[in-house]
Amino acid sequence: MLILMNGNEAVKRVAHNPLVWFARRILSGVAVVWAAATFAFLIQCLLPGDRAQIIINVRSGNVGPAAPAELAAINAQYGFDQPLVVQYAKYVWRILHGDLGESYQQHRAVAGIIAEQIGPTIVLAIAALLMAWAIAILTTLLIAGRDNIWSKLLSGAQIFLATVPPYWLATILLVIFAVNLRIFPVVGESSPMGLVLPTLALALELSGFFGQVVLNEFTRVLEQPFVTSARARGMSDFGVRLHHVLRHAALPGITLSGWALGKLLSGAILIEVVFARQGLGGVLVAATSSRDVPIVSGAVLISAGLFVLVSVIVDLAYRILDPRMKLT
Amino acid sequence: MLSPTARPTRRFTGRSNHLARKMAATLAVLSGLSQWTPSVHAQEGVAVKRGGVIRYGHFQEPACLFGGWVQQWYLQRQYSDNLVARSDDGKIAPWLAESWTISDDKKVYTFEIKPNVKFTDGTALDAQAIADNINGWLSNNPDLRNPTAAPYLSDSFELAKAIAPQRLQVTLKVPFEPLLNVFAQSSQGILSPTALKRGLAVNCEKPVGSGPFIVDKWRHGREVTFRRNPDYNSAPAIAKHQGPAYVDGISWKFLPDQTVRYGSLITGETDAIYDIPAVAWKDANSRFAVLRHITGGTPLRLALYAARPPFDDVLVRKAFAYSTDRKAAVDTSFLGSLPFEGNGALSQSSPEYLHELGQAYAYDIRKANQLLDQAGWTERDRNGVRVKNGNSLTVRISYSNAFLKPDGEQALQVIQQQARAAGFDVRLQPTNPADFFAGRNLGPDDYEIVLLYWVAPGAEIFRISWKPDQNGEPNRFNPSRFQDSALWEVIQRAEQDFSSAERKGLYQQAERKIVDEAPVIGFTVLDVTLATSPSLKDVWLDHGSVGEPVFYDAHFDERK
Amino acid sequence: MSRSVEVTVSRPLGELLEFICYVPFRVAASLATIGFFVLAAIAPKVLQTHDPLAIDLSSSLQSPSIVHWLGTDQLGRDLYSRVLEGAGQSLAIGLGATALSMSVALILGVAAALSGGLLDSILTRIFDVLFAIPTLLLALVFVTVFGPSVLTEVIAVGIGTAPGYARMIRGQMLSIKGTGYVEAAKALGHPFPRIVWRHILPNAMSPLTAMVTIGVGQAIIWASGLAFLGLGVAPPAPEWGALLNAGRNYVIYAWWLEIIPGLAVTIFALSLTIVGGHLQDRLEGKI
Repeated sequence: MLILMNGNEAVKRVAHNPLVWFARRILSGVAVVWAAATFAFLIQCLLPGDRAQIIINVRSGNVGPAAPAELAAINAQYGFDQPLVVQYAKYVWRILHGDLGESYQQHRAVAGIIAEQIGPTIVLAIAALLMAWAIAILTTLLIAGRDNIWSKLLSGAQIFLATVPPYWLATILLVIFAVNLRIFPVVGESSPMGLVLPTLALALELSGFFGQVVLNEFTRVLEQPFVTSARARGMSDFGVRLHHVLRHAALPGITLSGWALGKLLSGAILIEVVFARQGLGGVLVAATSSRDVPIVSGAVLISAGLFVLVSVIVDLAYRILDPRMKLT
Repeated sequence: MLSPTARPTRRFTGRSNHLARKMAATLAVLSGLSQWTPSVHAQEGVAVKRGGVIRYGHFQEPACLFGGWVQQWYLQRQYSDNLVARSDDGKIAPWLAESWTISDDKKVYTFEIKPNVKFTDGTALDAQAIADNINGWLSNNPDLRNPTAAPYLSDSFELAKAIAPQRLQVTLKVPFEPLLNVFAQSSQGILSPTALKRGLAVNCEKPVGSGPFIVDKWRHGREVTFRRNPDYNSAPAIAKHQGPAYVDGISWKFLPDQTVRYGSLITGETDAIYDIPAVAWKDANSRFAVLRHITGGTPLRLALYAARPPFDDVLVRKAFAYSTDRKAAVDTSFLGSLPFEGNGALSQSSPEYLHELGQAYAYDIRKANQLLDQAGWTERDRNGVRVKNGNSLTVRISYSNAFLKPDGEQALQVIQQQARAAGFDVRLQPTNPADFFAGRNLGPDDYEIVLLYWVAPGAEIFRISWKPDQNGEPNRFNPSRFQDSALWEVIQRAEQDFSSAERKGLYQQAERKIVDEAPVIGFTVLDVTLATSPSLKDVWLDHGSVGEPVFYDAHFDERK
Repeated sequence: MSRSVEVTVSRPLGELLEFICYVPFRVAASLATIGFFVLAAIAPKVLQTHDPLAIDLSSSLQSPSIVHWLGTDQLGRDLYSRVLEGAGQSLAIGLGATALSMSVALILGVAAALSGGLLDSILTRIFDVLFAIPTLLLALVFVTVFGPSVLTEVIAVGIGTAPGYARMIRGQMLSIKGTGYVEAAKALGHPFPRIVWRHILPNAMSPLTAMVTIGVGQAIIWASGLAFLGLGVAPPAPEWGALLNAGRNYVIYAWWLEIIPGLAVTIFALSLTIVGGHLQDRLEGKI
């Protein structure tokens, strides 16, 4: 698992002074965000075709070339006629002031658009993360170290779930449980019941991944002497399992959760579209098909920032939770 | 997806000239209008259940709650009132204007404005407020300019002013017969001048009109909520009742996925939905009330590039039409939810539509082969594709899902296969909306056929489609590049003709010519469909306009 | 991690043979499935029962039957034949994306690991940045910029998944670089490129074969996800993602149009995962 490796590396870098470590961590985080911003800017410039032309036609629903005067007005409005360096400097300056530009299509600030849509997406992502862990831990408890038909079936199911495309699963869940059986609402909106199906669709895939990792860790642990001794002391089998599975799931759990962020965001985009949920997914897909680059690059920037934030938290949590790391 | 490009085209209607002819006499035609005096349609007296919120599942979400796109018209219809209304049969009816007169020279319109009407922000809706709106539409102020009204009126409009508190005068530079039709469109709903001063950004989010509903909140990506305007007193004469709306409000949800949208109606999570999926068409008709409006203007049609081979030859254009069983393609692909339209010139809901052209160029492979032989495409290569002077008979069809439902794409695949039998090598060029808007696959050498349409009520669309290139400026709305001065002559004569019968005749003459020359080939219609649950009554589509859903008269029955 | 001292290029061949001889049932079944789809991709006509593009309006939207094993679509085209026809394009996208992703990852990962110092930190930083952007978002960026096409799909998925591989390769390389035999080879005076070519690369590559196998399946899932959003290619050609996207609108009334293409993607990716997992176990078991 590459992320475990990354976690360890990060930990190795944990020099002796936590403050130095922390400062370096923040600095490198800032560098990542800055690079992502530059990347986002480059995307906007790379766009083939005349940006002004696209903006005009997308807004008016027309096709075909627009009049030069119209084009000039748009070029002036967005500053496309200025040298790239100037555009870049202005772009960075605006980002520092929390301004991610204006959507070509919606005429609104990108920061505002993302701010109002990211809430439901984050709720979905966190709910799915929690549910994925619940499922992964539960199945691990049931199957680790056992060799019967059920454990085989469950671990097979885990591999299956880790592979199944979540958007496809989401469509099936929607039709079966909402449209046909009517157990859950079709239009979820913000109700807790409406969150269940999207969360499940997103969590099942992840639980497959988590389950496999935790299972490997845990199977090793079960063979160790202290487990046998715990059993000998009269602890129930389930008690032993619960105790150890939780303990040993904790550390990889933190790193894996950090790693899952990207997967969750990717998945959430698809799932939101399937369920017609409010969130970044719908906005991003619409922006992609109408080449509303400021929104797409704004989302790139925000998700890079999120990633940096989460990885700092993960590393911090690692330092706090794992005393061994401090000794190295 | 209906008309992402609802174009601001409005009609010189033939039939409304029942009215216009009388007006031509000069002054007030109040006799002709008396039938429209309010509360003719009376459900008054009949106890109608009040209350409840309509949960409506819509398709696309616009970027602003008013504007030139048809999706914006739908929304504006709920919260604003127009100067005049247009009935199903094309007659102009009173709305905010109780009556009006037209001067002899047809350049001065004087409107008597309904008294005691207020915008929902308390501003008085008087002649001055309307004049401010109209002048704003035609101004260059980007906050006020109206992308629908401006292209219609900019050549003829001079000034709107209040000559008395309740009397509005609109002056034109040259006569423009469709003026009232333009005023009747939802995009020309009158907005509060006080509110408009807040700027475009605020108005997009929370526009203020005088309509039956008030925009409460727009939760982007989710819904717009409307609440009832309790003081509503300005319903149009074409409405089924007067006074405030029956329901408490509308929850206008954006559900772009059709499975979710239709599914929500099945499970009772919505009371009405827009755009019934073709696959659910039969089912919807059996369990829900289905409303449909076929939009006017052009049908969804194949425009054949007539300025270079192979389609510069009218025989080849006709051969292509005969070689494809477009009726079967449409019937199968849309599963009976949309009819075939053989008349490529004009949509069947336009008053000038000629029924006998509706089945033009019915499938006839023998005729197609015969025409192609006659046109000199006699050889065939080993794939069966016809060849002439070393060139293959290749036809590239450009289209985008911005202008075509997924089912329409299937129909194109059928056409592709059918035309092969006559020796056409048809290639499909699907283009994503952004590229399409950027002009990809639309250059002069990029296509032989393109799928486009233009929504409008009637034959005035001909001006848009068939205006020849002038002064080196190409008509960008004529993708077939077919230019015919005789045709243009007829169209212009029709536009200047104030006699409805004659104008209709001229337009139909043009219509015949277009179908006969086959620069465009009919395919199917564009429609607005709505399915409503049995408990929701009296929702209607504004057939006089582009089929906006109207919830003003709607109410739930007792079971709800 | 493989750390055997004797490294020869021919080793993987022998391994492969050995691998084929002793396989558990599920791996054998997976291999058979993969073989089936590969055959469909190379010679679709062999397995098809109908012409996948032949329109038959009289048999539209039929559920699975003896004539049409997996049902028909709206235009009466045989879904079974269409899924097989789509295998070619889907596999090509999966392989292409993985190949691109691996090449980028190899070049950058190896460069980072071998150079060390400043270049290493810069490259690592770049991986971080790309890793910080969710795969699908990165893919959306590419589609936004270049517009949807098969090539864009391949590039989008390839670049989107590259940072993960690059990091892993760098890690592999570093751990091998520090092992005794590389030091020994250096001491023996072997030229450095030769050491990289003969010793470091092969050792780093072995674990990668497993990742590549799994990666192809994942790439197909990502690509069909793009198509599912309507951002893939939309030709009459029945690429799996396009089938998924088209079937989505019919799912209430013609379930097979959505279920079957999804199953094809899942089964294929699952088979690759199982085989990849098995490979990994074998390789790790050798330590």
